[in-house]
Amino acid sequence: MNAHRYSVCIRAGERTIVTTDNYDIVPNEITFLFGESGIGKSMISKAVYGLLDPDDLDVTVNGRPYAEYCALASTREIRDNSFFVFQEPSSHLNSLMKISDQLSEGSLGLCKDDSEILGRLWQNADRSALRRVLDVFPKPYRPSGGEKQRALLAMAFKKMDVLTSTKEAGADSFFVFDEPTGSLDNNYRNLFLELLFEKYARRPFTVMIITHDYSVISELYARYRGFLPRIHLKELRRADARAVEVIDFSAQEYLNWLGEKPPKASGADAGAPVLDFGARFSVFGRNLCLFKDAAHTQPANLIIRKGEIAYVKAPSGVGKTTLAKAIMGLYHAQDLSMNLCGMPITGRTEKKVWETRIWGRKATMVFQHADESLNLAATVRETFLGLPLARKLTPQTLVLALGELFEDSVTDAFLSKKVAMLSGGQKQRLNLLRSIVLGTDLLILDEPLNGLDFLSVKKVLTILDDRRRRGAALLMISHNEEIFDHFVDREHVYYLAECS
Amino acid sequence: MKQLLQKKDSRWLGIWVVGMLAVSIWDILFLNKPALGQVTAGFLNTFCVALLVMVFTLVMAWGVTLALHFLDAGKNRTPYLLLTFALNLVRSIPQVVGILFGYVGVSALVEAGFIRSPVLIFSLLALSISLFVFIEFVDLLRERIAHFQKLDFYNAMRVCGISEGRVINFDILWKNSRIHILNKLISVFGAAIFLQCSVDFIISVGLSTDVNSVTLPATMGSLLAKIDSKQDILAIGYTLTHPAYAGNLFFEHLMGLTVAFLVVFTLMSVYHIANGYAERHRL
Repeated sequence: MNAHRYSVCIRAGERTIVTTDNYDIVPNEITFLFGESGIGKSMISKAVYGLLDPDDLDVTVNGRPYAEYCALASTREIRDNSFFVFQEPSSHLNSLMKISDQLSEGSLGLCKDDSEILGRLWQNADRSALRRVLDVFPKPYRPSGGEKQRALLAMAFKKMDVLTSTKEAGADSFFVFDEPTGSLDNNYRNLFLELLFEKYARRPFTVMIITHDYSVISELYARYRGFLPRIHLKELRRADARAVEVIDFSAQEYLNWLGEKPPKASGADAGAPVLDFGARFSVFGRNLCLFKDAAHTQPANLIIRKGEIAYVKAPSGVGKTTLAKAIMGLYHAQDLSMNLCGMPITGRTEKKVWETRIWGRKATMVFQHADESLNLAATVRETFLGLPLARKLTPQTLVLALGELFEDSVTDAFLSKKVAMLSGGQKQRLNLLRSIVLGTDLLILDEPLNGLDFLSVKKVLTILDDRRRRGAALLMISHNEEIFDHFVDREHVYYLAECS
Repeated sequence: MKQLLQKKDSRWLGIWVVGMLAVSIWDILFLNKPALGQVTAGFLNTFCVALLVMVFTLVMAWGVTLALHFLDAGKNRTPYLLLTFALNLVRSIPQVVGILFGYVGVSALVEAGFIRSPVLIFSLLALSISLFVFIEFVDLLRERIAHFQKLDFYNAMRVCGISEGRVINFDILWKNSRIHILNKLISVFGAAIFLQCSVDFIISVGLSTDVNSVTLPATMGSLLAKIDSKQDILAIGYTLTHPAYAGNLFFEHLMGLTVAFLVVFTLMSVYHIANGYAERHRL
C-alpha cells in the first residue's frame, strides 16, 4: 500500500484549530475514517482537497502555505477528478437552482443518463415521483434531509461515471463522502454502499468516507468481504490538546463487542411502571401509534418499569423525537393517556405540574443535538448550575461526575472552558452528563450516541446500564439500530408509525 | 496597542479620549475661567445624566421584559394586556415631546421647592429620558428571549429542571445577549446626549420665564442656547464669507465652539464605537 501522507496544520490567528502529520490517503482504495464529532475529520479532508478559504484560516499542507498547495498540479487534478459530498446537504446545495439542474451542472452534465443512479437511490420510484423531489429549489425543509443527501450522492456517482468514461484508470481522484448516511436510514445506507461498490468494481477510485456510523462495519463484513483488502478502517484520535492522529480502527474489536452477551434487561425490582404511555396519540394533526412488532399489527402501550430500557424504532421523520417531546410535555398531544411516575397526565395537565414536579425531578430528556441543547456561551461548570439536584454539586463531585466520561481531562481549565470551544463529541458527552447527574426515575435519550467515537459509545452505554441497574427507567430513541438491538431486550423494543 | 487600534470601537474610543484631552488643554489655555467652569460643568452634567439614562433604561427594560414574559405565560391575560397597552401608549408619544413634558414636570418640582438636591434632579431628568427610550430596549430583550425559546436550548434546559428565571436571566440575557445589550446601551448613551441637548436647547430658547431651566443644572444643550454660544456659532457662518476671520474662532468664540464640538464629536464617536462594536461581534 503506497499511501500519500499529508501533514496538515490549520490555525485561526494565534489559535491552532487542528494539526496532524499522518493523514494518509491510499490511492484507488477506500478508507473509512471514524472519530468523534468536531475532532477535525472534515476540516482536514477539506484542507487536503483544497476547499478551505485561505483568507479565513492559516493553513499549511505538507509544510507548504495553502495558496501554494492549492496551486499544485496534483491538487488541481484531485479537484478536477473528484467530488466532495458535504456533511450538511442543505449547505451543499444551491438554493437558487433546482436540484435537477444541479445534478447536471458543470462536468456532471457529461453523464447524460442518470436514471439508473436516481432509480437506485430512490428505490425505483417512478419518474413523476422523482420529478416532484428533484424539480424544486432546495429550502431548509424541502425536500427532506434524506432526499437532499441522496441527491448529493447521485452527483458523486455521476462524477464517477464521467471519470470512468473519460479518464484512464489511475488518474488521481479523491472522492470524499462526509457523513454520507447521516440523514439516511439503514435501508438507504445499504443502497449507497451497494452503488459505491458497484462503481468501484468497475473502476477503482480513491474514496474517503467520514462517518460515525460504526454499524457500517458489520455491513462491510457481511456483504463486501471481497473488497476488504482494499478497505481501510481508520480513526482520528486526539493526541494532545490540538494535535490529532490517524490510527487503525479495529473492526474485530467492534464486532467482538457486538457479539458480547448483552446486559440483562431487568435488574431492579420492577414494580409499577415508571412510564405508561398510550399506544395512540395525535400531535400537530398527525395520528401516531406504537406497536410491539415491526409489521405494525399489535398496538401496545409504551410501558417502562424501573430498571428497564425501552427502545423506539421508526424510519427518519416519522416522529420519534415528537414522541419524546410529547412524553416530556413539550408538545401538547391530543388523545393522550399517560401515567408518569404514578401521576396521571393528560393533554390538559398544567405547565406548572411539569415545572415543579416532573422536569429534572421525576423525568428528564437528552436532546438530539448537543450543539443546540447546550448553552454554548456558558462554561462547562456553568452547565451544571441551576439543576435541581438532591445534593448540591460541589467542585469535587462535579469533577467526579464529569470524570465518568471525560477521565483525566477534567482540570480547572476544562471546567472554565466555554462549551462552544469543545469538540462535538465532548459537547455530546456533556449533554448526556447534564441529564444523567439528575438521577431521575425516567431518562429519555434522543440519539444519545450522536457524534461519539467508539470508546465513548462503550462508556456511555456502560453508564446508562449502570443507571438502569440502580433503578432508572430509560427510553432510547436512535437510528443506530445495530447497537441498540444489541443493548436492549427484544421485548422492550417498540415501533412507531403513523396511522389513520 | 496595534491590535487595539485595529478594532474600530477601540480606535474611536481612543480618538474620542484624545479629542477631549486636546480640547481640554486648548480651553485651559485660551478660554476664560468662568466660561471654562460652565463648559466643564455642562459637559459633566450631560455625561452623568446620559450614564444614568443607561442605568435606568437597562433596569426598567430588564424588569418590564421579565414582567411581560411571566404575565404572558400566566393564566390571567388582563395584567399582560394592560402592561402592553401602557407601553404602547408611551411608545406612541414622540420622544422629544415626552421628555419635554418630563422636564417641565421636574422644573415645576424644583420651582415649588420640592426637590433641591442636584443628584435627585439629575436622576429625575434621566428617568424622564429613560421612560421614552427604554421601550426599544424591551423589544430587543424580548426578541432575544423569543429567539432562544424557539431553539432546543430552552426546552433542553427546562426539562433538566432549570428554572425559567435562571434560563432567561442567566443563560439567555446574560450569557447570550450581553453583547447585544452593551451595544444597545452605547446607542442609548448617544441618544440620551442627543435628546438631552435637544430638549435643553428647546427649553432654554423657547419656554417662557415662568417655566424655565434656570433652576436646572447647566447642560450642553442649555449652554448652547446661551446668547454667547449662539454668537460664537454664528461666527462660523461669518468665516465662510470672511475666511481671514477663521483664526479668531479658536480664541474669541471658544465657548460656543467648544460646546458644539463636544456634542457633535461625542455623538459621532459614540456612533462609530457602537458600529465598530457591532461589526466586531458580528451582530
